[in-house]
Amino acid sequence: MSIEEGARFVAAAYAVILAVLVLYYFISARRVNTLRRDVELLEQEVQRRQAGAGEAGGE
Amino acid sequence: MAILRKDLIRELRTREMLISMILFVLLAMVIFHYAFTVKEGADLTYFTGGMLWVTFIFAMLLGLNRSFAQEKDERCLDGLLLCPVDRVTIFFAKTAGNLIFLLIIQAVAVPVFTLFFVERSYVGDLLPFLVVLLLADVGICALGTLLATISMNTRSRDLLLPIIFLPLIVPVLIAATGATTLIFAEGAGFGGLLARVLFLLGFDVVFIAAAYGTYDFAIGE
Amino acid sequence: MKQLVSAPALFVEAGICLIAGLLLAFLYAPIDVSSMGFSQKIFYYHAPIAETALVAFGIAFVAAIAYLRTQDLKWDRLGLVCVRLGLLFSLLVMITGMIWGKAAWGVWWAWEPRLTTFLLVCFLYIAYLVLRSVVEEEQRRATYAAVFAIIAFIDVPMTFFATRFLPEGLHPVVISAGGSGMEGSMLVSFLISMLGMTLLLVALIRRDLAVEDLKDRVADLKNTIGG
Repeated sequence: MSIEEGARFVAAAYAVILAVLVLYYFISARRVNTLRRDVELLEQEVQRRQAGAGEAGGE
Repeated sequence: MAILRKDLIRELRTREMLISMILFVLLAMVIFHYAFTVKEGADLTYFTGGMLWVTFIFAMLLGLNRSFAQEKDERCLDGLLLCPVDRVTIFFAKTAGNLIFLLIIQAVAVPVFTLFFVERSYVGDLLPFLVVLLLADVGICALGTLLATISMNTRSRDLLLPIIFLPLIVPVLIAATGATTLIFAEGAGFGGLLARVLFLLGFDVVFIAAAYGTYDFAIGE
Repeated sequence: MKQLVSAPALFVEAGICLIAGLLLAFLYAPIDVSSMGFSQKIFYYHAPIAETALVAFGIAFVAAIAYLRTQDLKWDRLGLVCVRLGLLFSLLVMITGMIWGKAAWGVWWAWEPRLTTFLLVCFLYIAYLVLRSVVEEEQRRATYAAVFAIIAFIDVPMTFFATRFLPEGLHPVVISAGGSGMEGSMLVSFLISMLGMTLLLVALIRRDLAVEDLKDRVADLKNTIGG
């Protein structure tokens, strides 16, 4: 096999690896961000409800 | 000991499972013949070990599923757990019971298999053959018992067992079929089989030790 | 309470090492003079990925034992994350192995020790995930998963031995994989890539653990609101 052909295979292999790993990295990064945002929103909601209940109780 | 006796007595009374498994094994052999001899006079000599052990492994899967499902349905296990018995003893008793079943089935199946598929007389190699048989059986039964205990308590019960059992048993399969085929096809004394025999022995020791360590957890509920 | 969820530094370090390894592999390390020629260079990523996968499964093994000892679910979580990542890496091993096989032997698949061992490893740990999926109760699921993780990891070297040494009797394995003794330049490239992959594994473990933590938090909060 000539060097050029061999190089193509090698490049393909490395490309696959890096593609998969980078993809996984980005997917997990996005999940982290989405979840973080969910947590924030939910925490705000909880606070709001507790404040609302506090007011209602205070009356 | 008592547990072992209990299992055996129950089975010998009904004989249901035993007979079904034996029939299954014999039928599998016939099916193998038709499956593989597409060409006239195809030579299956080097497939013999494989056919034999695949059959036994699948038969064991059936048997394990059946016996553990029965136990679970009849709630025998709860009764057992109430006894002041070391959990691991249950493991050994069950494994021994399964082992005996397997040996009984093999006692019937091997001669028939030899009749169907094996040209050479391997009487000279009988002892090595039996050693290989026993060692592989122990591995299959020990692993099978441990895994069946787990799988029976899950949602998909008998569907799960093959999935978790088969990948784990592959090394045993490789060693056993290699040795068996060698014996059937070419004949080999202990010398030629040494590597495989030692491997099976090692496998058995390691996994029985692992089961010993983990069975408490596997059966605890 | 916001926790620091990922360690960006780890990823950066990993990235640097991996890219360095790549460059070294292509430019610095010599071309293999044996039959494989240039395609041998796949080795510089392929082998580290394989070893990293095994490291991941090893961590899962230790985590499993720790869980059985302590009954603390955090070990179960670590085990799950490591098995998942180990599977990811194992799949990569298989893919690169096949590409290498095509380059070196001209076929996409061969029943040779390394590919088959990793194939089995994949099935094994997929079975782990299946097992988890059919048990609903948390502690029991963790227990069963732990038992299986322990047994599975012991089985891996067994499978490796069996596929490598046992078929010798009947059909001697002719294929020999490359990379026996490594000279200096090859060694350096290899080690740097190895380091990079390991760092990447650690970074991914941390991130995945964080994801699981956050998921729990979301579920908790949703319960608080709903209840």
